[in-house]
Amino acid sequence: MVSLKIDGREVSVPEGTTILKAAQGIGIDIPTLCYHKRLPPIGSCNMCIVEIRGQEAPVTSCNTPVEEGMEVTTESEALHAQRVVNLKKILKHHALDCPICDKAGECDLQNLVYRFGITEVPFEPRKQKRDDSYSTSLIRYWPERCIMCKRCVTACREIKGIGAIEASGEGDDARIVVANAEICRSCGECLMVCPTGALTENLSRFKGRPWLEKRVMTTCPYCGCGCQMELRVMENRVIGVTTKLDAGVNQGSLCVKGRFGYEFIGDEDRLTDPLIKENGAFRKASWDEALDLVAQKLSAIKKESGPDAIGGLSSAKCTNEENYLFQKFMRAVIGTNNVDHCARL
Amino acid sequence: MAEAKTITLNMGPHHPATHGVLRVVLELDGETIVKATPHIGYLHRGIEKLAEHRNYQQIIPLTDRLDYSSASANNIGYCLAVEKLMGIEVPKRAQYLRGIMAELARFMGHQLWLGTHALDIGAMTVIFYAFRDREMIMKINEEISGYRLTPTFFRIGGVAHDATDEFIKKVREFVKWFPKALSGYHTLLTENKIWTTRTMNIGAITAKEAVNYGLTGPSLRASGVAYDVRKAFPYSSYDDFDFKIPVGENGDVYDRYLVRMEEFTQSLAIIHQAIENLPEGPVQTDNPWIGNPALSDVEKDISALIRRFMINAKGPNAPQGEVYQAVEGAKGELGFYLVGDGSEHPYRMKVRAPCFYLASAIPRLMTGHMIADAIAIIGSLDVVLGEIDR
Repeated sequence: MVSLKIDGREVSVPEGTTILKAAQGIGIDIPTLCYHKRLPPIGSCNMCIVEIRGQEAPVTSCNTPVEEGMEVTTESEALHAQRVVNLKKILKHHALDCPICDKAGECDLQNLVYRFGITEVPFEPRKQKRDDSYSTSLIRYWPERCIMCKRCVTACREIKGIGAIEASGEGDDARIVVANAEICRSCGECLMVCPTGALTENLSRFKGRPWLEKRVMTTCPYCGCGCQMELRVMENRVIGVTTKLDAGVNQGSLCVKGRFGYEFIGDEDRLTDPLIKENGAFRKASWDEALDLVAQKLSAIKKESGPDAIGGLSSAKCTNEENYLFQKFMRAVIGTNNVDHCARL
Repeated sequence: MAEAKTITLNMGPHHPATHGVLRVVLELDGETIVKATPHIGYLHRGIEKLAEHRNYQQIIPLTDRLDYSSASANNIGYCLAVEKLMGIEVPKRAQYLRGIMAELARFMGHQLWLGTHALDIGAMTVIFYAFRDREMIMKINEEISGYRLTPTFFRIGGVAHDATDEFIKKVREFVKWFPKALSGYHTLLTENKIWTTRTMNIGAITAKEAVNYGLTGPSLRASGVAYDVRKAFPYSSYDDFDFKIPVGENGDVYDRYLVRMEEFTQSLAIIHQAIENLPEGPVQTDNPWIGNPALSDVEKDISALIRRFMINAKGPNAPQGEVYQAVEGAKGELGFYLVGDGSEHPYRMKVRAPCFYLASAIPRLMTGHMIADAIAIIGSLDVVLGEIDR
């Protein structure tokens, strides 16, 4: 254990802990922007700077490990001034488009700007328009909103181990570029960690706003992992899927199916009535008629050839509850184990 | 010996002379009132509870609907309470504009009172003149805010935007015109024999009793107590202006009438001084967490855009703590008690509505008078139910 003082408060933490984590442990809130708790420290934004007694220049607390006897100050006028300067530098070229940005309202950059009460950052347009190509068509990259925190690049490399995107260029020319579009699996991990609206989902663009949406926690129906996901619901329509950092087995990750495979829910081509096939053509039927027919035929087959002559296939596009009921129906009512599901649920 | 018989008469809540939805249950011995019981609650909208779920900025329109006849006078009380809680100072120009709007609201309240009070007692003409002049203020409200009755022109930290030239012109026109209109009101009523007979020595209350009942505003001052929040605890630059507090002697219906009539003159003096000495400068606080950045800045400054977004979408946080701020509304001391819990909406808002205390004095004032006087007494108290029921 290492003992140190943060803002005059004694704290003991295991060796190797960063100053930021030690401070968070005792409830001291150091402002951060590029830091993400699922990622290794990136150190690109310089918001989490702190002063250490005896050291001339402030250090970034996210990647500085604690040392025995350290005396750390997290708030001072000089630090505040420096943070404001750093934040203004990030804002200089930022597009003036909060009113149309999907992230507005839950944007880390907005929160920081408001927290620091930043004023006077005249917009400076870039000389050259930046390329907005990205590794997957499911995600749109908005280079003018990008603050170059490199969370997306780090998440792609460290969480997924893929490395489909990378940062390129220096200073004002820096941007995220596609390193290898072919290995991108469109999992949206980069989307999840983006602190601003620089990466937005292409399917649900402009469909809702964070403060108008209803968020519903549910379990992904696609496979047996049972990832926790949060449906973004607007006017009784699912307009997107996101997840929470501390939820379930996935802890903030989703795969391409879970994150982007939701449009079938509100699809116009879905069946609205039961259909019965007669002479090679479907006709509309009432529920009573359709259910009677199914019950009659199933009982006839069961009577004639035994329950094992019947098999059932369920679908990942039903809810988990419906799938449970279906297998219960097959086993308990029909009396067969011939039941399967595309995800072996 | 024959037993005395009384009859019970239900007056309101839909009686035209109860000014909204006040219901008074009268116990009558012949035509004499032996007991009067006011019943309230017909206009309850849960404004205090609603406030707990809105951010500080969004509560302002709710306060317009307390005493809706003088909406800006409520806005100022609420905004000052929030500003006290947040510890911010409002620029001088905004304070003057607020003063003008609040005094104009007092005019609107008193004109409504004058017209309906006289109408209730049988003087039909007055309401037409009162509403003719009230219309001028409605137009001023419309000019500055777009709304005629409930302007919601104030914001936490100032006012919504600067006064237009047209607004200043219209206020000046009003200030110039109104003394003539006022002398017209006086001609119609002040020495009118029927009016004085119907109002003098009716519903009189002594200074001590008035204080005990918690009366404030013109109804208290008519009994001879010179208590006016604008003088006692000056706010929003009221100490810059030269004005008097009119007081009565007898505390009867007629004195309450005279006090309000004199308040017209005094309010006019305040508006006149404010509009002629309107200081230059901003109308919103420069506090980056509260002052709404101008749209012209938003178009070229990302920090202004973000702050405007955050201030309007989420709203500023108020620190933990509690404050009480009173202002002189048209009806009396209007107080806002706010408890902040560090979030963007209050933990509790309690309104000290002057009309609630005025209504509580109804049994005391009516007992012993004739039933026809009940109308005169309710009218002279000038209760507005939007404020009592909240």
